[in-house]
Amino acid sequence: MDGKIDLHFALRNHKTIMKDVYYQPPLKASRGLYVDNPDDITVYLMESSGGLVAGDKNAYRVRLDKGTNVTLHPQAATKVYPAFNGKPSKQEVDIELAEQACLTWKREEVIPFAESEFHSHTTVNMKKGSSFYWEEILYPGREKRGERFTFVKCHTQLEVWMEEECLVYDGLRFEPSVQDVKHFGVMGDYHYIASVWIIDREIELDVEKWSHSSTDHQVSITKLRDAGYLVRFLSNDLPRVKKEMDQLGNKKLAVSV
Amino acid sequence: MKRQKEDSQNHLNTEVINTKFLYLMHIHDSAFPIGTYTHSFGMETFIQEDAIKTKEDLFHFLQVYLHENVSYTDGIFVKESYQKEELAELIRLEKICDASKNAEETREASSMIGKQFVKAVLPVSDTPSLEKWNELLQEKKVIAHFPIVYSLYAKDLAFDLYTTVLTFLYSSTVGLVHNAVRAIPLGQKAGIEVIHRLIPEMEKATINVLERDLSDLSNHAVGLELASMQHKYLRSRLFIS
Repeated sequence: MDGKIDLHFALRNHKTIMKDVYYQPPLKASRGLYVDNPDDITVYLMESSGGLVAGDKNAYRVRLDKGTNVTLHPQAATKVYPAFNGKPSKQEVDIELAEQACLTWKREEVIPFAESEFHSHTTVNMKKGSSFYWEEILYPGREKRGERFTFVKCHTQLEVWMEEECLVYDGLRFEPSVQDVKHFGVMGDYHYIASVWIIDREIELDVEKWSHSSTDHQVSITKLRDAGYLVRFLSNDLPRVKKEMDQLGNKKLAVSV
Repeated sequence: MKRQKEDSQNHLNTEVINTKFLYLMHIHDSAFPIGTYTHSFGMETFIQEDAIKTKEDLFHFLQVYLHENVSYTDGIFVKESYQKEELAELIRLEKICDASKNAEETREASSMIGKQFVKAVLPVSDTPSLEKWNELLQEKKVIAHFPIVYSLYAKDLAFDLYTTVLTFLYSSTVGLVHNAVRAIPLGQKAGIEVIHRLIPEMEKATINVLERDLSDLSNHAVGLELASMQHKYLRSRLFIS
């Protein structure tokens, strides 16, 4: 099945509104909710089929007009079922941000089951003065069933452009049958990779706070060139990853301007 | 077959290629001043954590570095730069190269080495592409990442793509062996043995790189990336990256 969501956000009387919305099952978008304040609209992204079966494709297109402020919340993790027919499951996300627009994409989680194949490509085109926050967690499989990197392929690609400048170009291409995934240079004994991309030139993070490691959890931060930060986790402690991601997402706690 | 044998024994036929090869050997000399001996690309973090202590640890680490990192990152940039004809495409490629290096120190190391390389070879070589790149560098339109400028140089000297990628992979790994021998420390004999065992791996990696393109770029060596991010917070450091 091919799911689709197209969202267009605009300003009306200084308030962000969802101007156009189109969706095609199994994807669905919630109504726009004003959780914290009238300036910031939140929309939940829902998937009614329970997961991607081989050959399925979900496509998201999101457009933010000048000055809008939007939070998108995937309601559940994307579960990817086995690709027995040899066809990969796909996800495409296309985002356009006008000047001074701000988009937060909360916790995109992907669980590639054993024998599955998943390709996702996220492209963001930003204008000057806009900002973009992206959080993602890649699971090694259904750990409770003992699946750990037993999928066939899992390729994710995030690229962010501001006009002609490339700000992020991050591919993660796992193909465990031909890669040395368990070496400490790759995953070591860790199961989860999580990333928080903060593409915002206006903020500064306390870098020392986001650089520590222990046997089952490590987090590191790096400054991107003229763009913001990447905070990346390797961990076996999923609740802790989520907690720290929430701290980073809470700009008042994590950010010192 | 007989003809081939006679040809290879006639030194006049092989002279040009052999002499030309000396230019490549020269830039891969460990004393060639491009600063590779000051960079570990995150390896020093693992050495300080005692994850790399022995000759075997070092070999295995560099095998992973070669197959899971360089041949999914810089190796692809060397190949793609070699195949680009248009300047605008090359400039775009370098922007992608810069953005794909998440860890700040690794990103800086790549451009520091690249700039030193341009500075070292330009006065003594006839390389029009590199001269053009240097003009753009002076105008701050490009950064001079090492895989890009290395590829431009080798192509101007008419080395084929296979040789260009293979020698780049050689330089990336052998530099780290020299640095690891000093930092762990290991004996020179151990270093030589590791390099000899890595040479067949470099060949395999080159064959893989030649089958890849930009869509294969991958930072899945996340452990190494985090080690590079953490490097700046080590208490004492032998290397810049």
